Amino acid sequence: MRAYVAYVGQRFLILLATIILAMTIVFLLPRLVPGDPMGAIMAKLSSVGAGRGNEALIRDYMERFGLNKPVWQQYIDYLVQLAQGNLGYSIANFPAKVSDLIFTALPWTVGLLLVTTVLSWLIGSVLGAVVGWRESKSVTIRAVVVLALVAYTTPYYILAILLLFAFAFLVPIFPLAGAYEVGTKPEFTFAFTVDVLRHAALPAMSIILVSLGWWFLSMRSLMISIKGEDYILWAEAKGLFPRRILWRYGFRNALLPQATGLALSLGYLVGGALVTEVIFGYPGIGWLIFSSIKGLDYPVIQGSVMLIIISVALVNFAMDLIYPFIDPRIRQAQTG
Amino acid sequence: MALAAKDIITEETPSAAPPGYSTLILQNRKIVFGGILFLLILGTALAGALMIDPKLRRSGSITRKLPPHAAAVLGTTSLGQSVAAQMTEAVPNSIQVGLIAALLGTVIGSLLGFVSGYFGGWVDAVLRVVIDVFLAVPVLLFLVLIAALVRGVTVQHMAIIIGLFAWSWPARAIRSQTLSLKTRPFVDVARISGMSGFDIITRELVPQMLPWLGANFVNAFIVAILAEAGLSILGLGPQREMTLGMMIYWSLSYGSILQNMWWWWLTPVVTLMLLFLALYLIHLGFDEVSNPRLRTQV
Repeated sequence: MRAYVAYVGQRFLILLATIILAMTIVFLLPRLVPGDPMGAIMAKLSSVGAGRGNEALIRDYMERFGLNKPVWQQYIDYLVQLAQGNLGYSIANFPAKVSDLIFTALPWTVGLLLVTTVLSWLIGSVLGAVVGWRESKSVTIRAVVVLALVAYTTPYYILAILLLFAFAFLVPIFPLAGAYEVGTKPEFTFAFTVDVLRHAALPAMSIILVSLGWWFLSMRSLMISIKGEDYILWAEAKGLFPRRILWRYGFRNALLPQATGLALSLGYLVGGALVTEVIFGYPGIGWLIFSSIKGLDYPVIQGSVMLIIISVALVNFAMDLIYPFIDPRIRQAQTG
Repeated sequence: MALAAKDIITEETPSAAPPGYSTLILQNRKIVFGGILFLLILGTALAGALMIDPKLRRSGSITRKLPPHAAAVLGTTSLGQSVAAQMTEAVPNSIQVGLIAALLGTVIGSLLGFVSGYFGGWVDAVLRVVIDVFLAVPVLLFLVLIAALVRGVTVQHMAIIIGLFAWSWPARAIRSQTLSLKTRPFVDVARISGMSGFDIITRELVPQMLPWLGANFVNAFIVAILAEAGLSILGLGPQREMTLGMMIYWSLSYGSILQNMWWWWLTPVVTLMLLFLALYLIHLGFDEVSNPRLRTQV
């Protein structure tokens, strides 16, 4: 138990470091980058605020950034604001709050990422296990491996563009852009659900295909190396059914490194998914960032980036908490 | 952890005369094929730059929206530019981003990895947390923040920005490699004979890991080109210069897919894919050179 507490403490330290780092970088960047972007943001704000006769916006930002105060005090003020969940106002969509914009976009991104990551990880792991377990060097298996390699080396957005061309233009089975038909309202009806699924199909497919290739390849190589272990030989000598050896002895042991891989690649997955959203005009966080870049809406970019970084860190931490229950080796390692 | 265990260099088999790295590299089919493909892509772009009038890169210099024909072998854009002429600028620029960023990332990563792995102790403890943090963070988002602030980035700006965040994977890989190498007898001998830690790293460990560093460099190269294209598609690329990512950005924002102007978007897309294929083959080749266990596989 003490070992587990020490382990959790160490992972918590990393979580804390990530969050502090993200907040500090977001705070410092506009003040470090040459060319006075802070001034540019303020100028933009004043023009928007003045144009709409809204003094409150400018005052809010003056207070938020408090540019006349010393830097350390600005930093503390900023942390206090963040702790209260205050991300400020959007410039382009004033008087919308940054947090409101993010929370409209967030469900789309989370839904897309969650479904695609879980699906590709499961399918890729199972396929990789089955293929890796067979020793045969048949043409089919080689072809599958090469295919997976091609899929894995293709960047998300390249596959996204190719899929868009193939299935939305050449053979228009799927819609070109958006998350649901223009003019319909999000509601829990059968028709709307089908519509949402139809719109999500291509973005999901491009993410699934690419990551599937990776999970497949890594599971396959894990299985190949596990096959040489003594305990597999022992299981075979005991006369266990091959299927039981594959799933209970091989697959289960390979799952942990595979789960570690998932945690490690989460950041990369999220980044890729954001760009994919842009190509499909999918109204998630990636699209929000894209349109904020076009509208010079720095507060929204800043808020979205920070939220994503912190969410990824939290998910990673949650996974770290679960590991020791799957694998006693981690608990053991901490005692030594 | 899985990586670390898998990638440990196996003991060299005592053969008559172990071949040097240069022979191994030149004999590796993947490195040779990937290298040729890479040079072919770059060479075509450079040769094209000599043959095609650079004026055709400007908008309005040629009839708009034409499919490939004699005057513009890769067609023209909605703005009246020759796609081929754009490519002669985009390919070298993208490769330049990859080179600079990979160099920065590998150098910073090696430094941190060697120091953390070799010296251990509290230095290692601190650096490990830092490396872990940067590994877990979606780095593309930091790049988005910076690029959004630096209005009007140039190709070199992008390269440096990407490079400054490209060190976490090399650092992790080199740290674990150093950890396994430093328990070898030759390092003990060096230590007993009075070499300093710095000398052991530069004269004993670095030469051992050259193919490894090569593989990491190529990997960082791939990641950097990927990041450049990703940032450009998000609208944060160099607006006044052409890169492969910017070509995709412009073609997408003018709806080239819907207008069936396949030559506009397909050209940078295919080139990017070929470039990745070439670099990935080189990467696999370097992996094989540094890890003899992989060599037997096809």
